[in-house]
Amino acid sequence: MTNAINEHRRRQLMDLMAERHWDSILLYGNGWRKDFFRSLVNVNYSGPYAAAHLSRSGDLIVWVTDPWDRDLIPGAREFAGALPKASAIVGLELMETWMVPGSPVSATADVEELRRVKTAEEIESLRAAADLADRGYRCFADTVQVGIREYELVAEVEGFLKSNGAEDNFMLIASGGTEVVGMKPPTDRKLQRGDSVTTELTPCVNGYYAQICRTIVLGDPSKGQLESFSIFSEAQQAAQDLIKPGIRASDAARAQNDVFRKYGYGDYTGAKYTRVRGHCLGLFPDETPHILEDVDYVIKENMVLIAHPNTYLPLSGYMVFGDTLLVTASGNERLNATEKKLFVKETA
Amino acid sequence: MKRGLIAWDKEQLPPAVFETRLARARAALAERDLPALLVYTDVWRSNQARFLANFMPYWNRSLVVIPREAAPVLLCALSPRVYPWIKSVTVFEDIRPASKLMQTLDQLCAERGWSGLGVLDLPKLPVEIHSGLSGLEIVDVPSVGITDPDEAEFTMRRRAVVLARKALEGHLQGALEKAAVEVGKFERQLRQLGAEDLVIRVRSRGSDAYSVSVALEYCGHWVKVTRAYGPADEVVMLERRFQAALTDGDGYRENLSGPQPYEPGTGPIFALHVERQGLYFGDTCTGTEPL
Repeated sequence: MTNAINEHRRRQLMDLMAERHWDSILLYGNGWRKDFFRSLVNVNYSGPYAAAHLSRSGDLIVWVTDPWDRDLIPGAREFAGALPKASAIVGLELMETWMVPGSPVSATADVEELRRVKTAEEIESLRAAADLADRGYRCFADTVQVGIREYELVAEVEGFLKSNGAEDNFMLIASGGTEVVGMKPPTDRKLQRGDSVTTELTPCVNGYYAQICRTIVLGDPSKGQLESFSIFSEAQQAAQDLIKPGIRASDAARAQNDVFRKYGYGDYTGAKYTRVRGHCLGLFPDETPHILEDVDYVIKENMVLIAHPNTYLPLSGYMVFGDTLLVTASGNERLNATEKKLFVKETA
Repeated sequence: MKRGLIAWDKEQLPPAVFETRLARARAALAERDLPALLVYTDVWRSNQARFLANFMPYWNRSLVVIPREAAPVLLCALSPRVYPWIKSVTVFEDIRPASKLMQTLDQLCAERGWSGLGVLDLPKLPVEIHSGLSGLEIVDVPSVGITDPDEAEFTMRRRAVVLARKALEGHLQGALEKAAVEVGKFERQLRQLGAEDLVIRVRSRGSDAYSVSVALEYCGHWVKVTRAYGPADEVVMLERRFQAALTDGDGYRENLSGPQPYEPGTGPIFALHVERQGLYFGDTCTGTEPL
């Protein structure tokens, strides 16, 4: 089991237990949220459940459900539902009520905070994921064409990502013109000349997700699409120029939104047209804190996040643009290498 | 997240199917004199909401509320910008934004004058949702009798299992070290055929043999097919064991609705997996969560 255990995290959890006078901590994962479990035992279990119990004396017991998962974690026990009592549970909120042993407190927020600052090893995985995101976007841009259906395009990209080592992927897509107000899973819509085709591509490597957001136009971009992209580009750059240790998540959001306001599109920075101006990345593709003007969280060195001013604009419809950023001692490093531009695909 | 095709072909799965299923839920409410049934759903636990309303959240979580005498309501944590699309693939006409799920549920209950609710499989409710119901009188409504598979369900599972089986025929004959590439080919092929979600795994038994399992979700219906690749005589023996187990009840078999024939080519509607010398063969068509 040793290779799968994050020793840094184990030490963090031992310190947390000592500080809070907890005797033990349980990390719970299901099919949706594997991240709580994987933050200590980094194995891509197939589920449906997994749990790890760490005692203050350092003893670790792991349960998995699928027998094949026991190949990945020698010594793991079969999860039959009955778990030992623990002082605190990470992922308690998601646990099915019948499973909860005793009356534990939640350690979810504590461990989410521990996870925000990445170790060198975690950053290497995030770099690999960002590199795969770049290559995945190249596949996306090479494959997209007039006449292909959205889900066929996504199938090609998924196949590419899995062939190149992705464990998972978070991906949204949209296509069309000014009528497009958001992204969702792929439909059977056939792409047309003049479409903006947007995607958030977020492959997972060794458990860690990195993201890229780009927009490609099929054929010559319209004046509106070009004007829109110049606003998105300026907004994303404003956040990238600002992000460093000590600034607040709200500052990074405001820097982006102020660009939209400057051009008269401030109305399109709210919840009606967009969700967030970015978010953290790691073992979950949508980690907190979110980059929003009302989020008062101080950014720290070695956090990894994406700044993306993705929103609807009447100029172009929904548009996306963003890169994964590693917060360094004095600023940030862009982990994606894909050109920062509005992509254009020639059509016959 | 689900990132395959989520669509509703109404010829394949007519709206009347859902009317019948909702009527079952309402009958259970009437029996217990409850005003409404609450069904929890998230990207992973989507089966019950899918069965009753064809709703499959591609991400995040939501609550389905089925009033005893009114149309179902979706309390949705996804953005209102995707509601037109959700309406096009589900039975819902009434979708309410619910970034704070429990607050929105409280508002709905107040609006309808409900002081209590039935909850489908209450013990399986996530802690956060359960604790948010503290102001309401809640009653466990077991899913047995409400989400039991019907003929339409079996038909869809058969379609799903045929897709998975087809993909496993003739694949993965190459070297195991290329497993990632082969898994990628599966992904591409199955998603092109309309798979909504996939979990593909390879289990090696040394250098000469391995098993592959494909858990596939087609229009919300999960199936898992496992096949072995290795020395031909061993694979043949394994398949024989599977066939024998179907007849004799050896191995693990979960029959869902009384005796059902094994139908090669169309897919069985039970779960049966056998193992022999570290190789696996089987079909699981319980159609519930990712298998």
